[in-house]
Amino acid sequence: MAKARALDKRRKAIRNIRKITRTMELIATARFKKAMDRAAASTAYTKRITALVADLANAGASVSHPLLEPRSEVKNAVLLVLTGNRGLCGGYNSNVQRTAFARLQELKASIPHVSVEVSGKRGIAGMKFRGVTPDATYLHFEDKPRFEEVEVLATKYLNDYLTGKIDRLDVAYTKFENIARQQAVVETLLPLAAIDGLETPGEKTEAAEGAKTAKAEVQYEFLPSAESILEEVVPTSFKVKLFKCFLDAAVSEQIARMTAMKAATDNANKIIKKLSMTYNRARQSQITGEIMEVLGGVEALKNK
Amino acid sequence: MAKETEITAPADQLRVVVVTPEATLVDDLADFVALPLFDGEIGIAALHSPLIGRLGFGEMRLKKGEVEKRYYVDGGFVQVADNVVSVLTNRAVDAKDLSAAAAESQLEAAIKQKADTDELLAIRDRSIAQSRAQLRTIRHAK
Repeated sequence: MAKARALDKRRKAIRNIRKITRTMELIATARFKKAMDRAAASTAYTKRITALVADLANAGASVSHPLLEPRSEVKNAVLLVLTGNRGLCGGYNSNVQRTAFARLQELKASIPHVSVEVSGKRGIAGMKFRGVTPDATYLHFEDKPRFEEVEVLATKYLNDYLTGKIDRLDVAYTKFENIARQQAVVETLLPLAAIDGLETPGEKTEAAEGAKTAKAEVQYEFLPSAESILEEVVPTSFKVKLFKCFLDAAVSEQIARMTAMKAATDNANKIIKKLSMTYNRARQSQITGEIMEVLGGVEALKNK
Repeated sequence: MAKETEITAPADQLRVVVVTPEATLVDDLADFVALPLFDGEIGIAALHSPLIGRLGFGEMRLKKGEVEKRYYVDGGFVQVADNVVSVLTNRAVDAKDLSAAAAESQLEAAIKQKADTDELLAIRDRSIAQSRAQLRTIRHAK
């Protein structure tokens, strides 16, 4: 009986685990939907800003802004790593860290002073394990990053960049491409590469021309001037980009957790099935053994 | 945010859309909008000519019939076209929800801050203007 009972105990334990992973999966699904809605809400803003920039560009405005110009000599760089506060989400945290660490080595090779800033408990622990002490850590960005919170950070970076305290800002995070695909990437946010709507590759101008013919050209009055408005768009565009990084990271974390917990639940199901089979077999063989014993006893008595 | 339903405004009204990076705060019809531009207030009524402007910190008023709503707008941009006023701002708060204490402490911190270069001076001026505009909006809302 000993073996069968042990098997039954294990099966119960795994049922408990399944209950937990299943619940976590459901929670992650709910959170993911919320995070997704937030990301969708923020695209309304980005879309309008892009349209505004396109209108300004149509009016012939061009912009030169310190945030857009790469520094000739990069002395101080910052690498911001966005990870989760919690584990149990598959390769989410380790992927970001691996990409970030590779970039960190690269930066350290060419730039005299690189500081690392980490958001999320997991990332902090991971960096410590790799022997890197972060210069700043943030724990308050949960699955619902707020723009106000991100803006504080963004303003800090902007001010540091403008006053020359930093020459470059890289952000390592998990980019959300679609529900089935998220990728850990490192992007250089400062200096800003380009502003959406202002760049003019082939397809973009075509789209802009399409919009132009559809709406006829609107003659805008600019207050104070197209250039000055564009200049103001640049820092806003940076803030929104950073916010988008945080939103993407939050959405990706929930998806990663959802998939990881789904896999765990499926696995638990499989193990339970297997254990049930072994358990039944063990029980059956035990019963057979007992019958044989009884029959043996009967035979022995008959022979007397 | 499944689908954006476009409200088309009648000729004597205009549609006002206030968008922040977090959410679309207002999407409504109004008779008249007053906005804080970078150098003073602008009033926009229906059928205003197309305009793109830079916003400052200050109070936005939406007037619809007899009802007047007040918001605090934290910089950004405004675009007027086709009887639609789009306000793009980092932060828009109902004037009643502003915290006077937070604004005052920001003002104090900003005034104390040392500014010995042009950049730092600009940053400080910005912070001062922002907190003063908040205090002003709070006063008006009372």
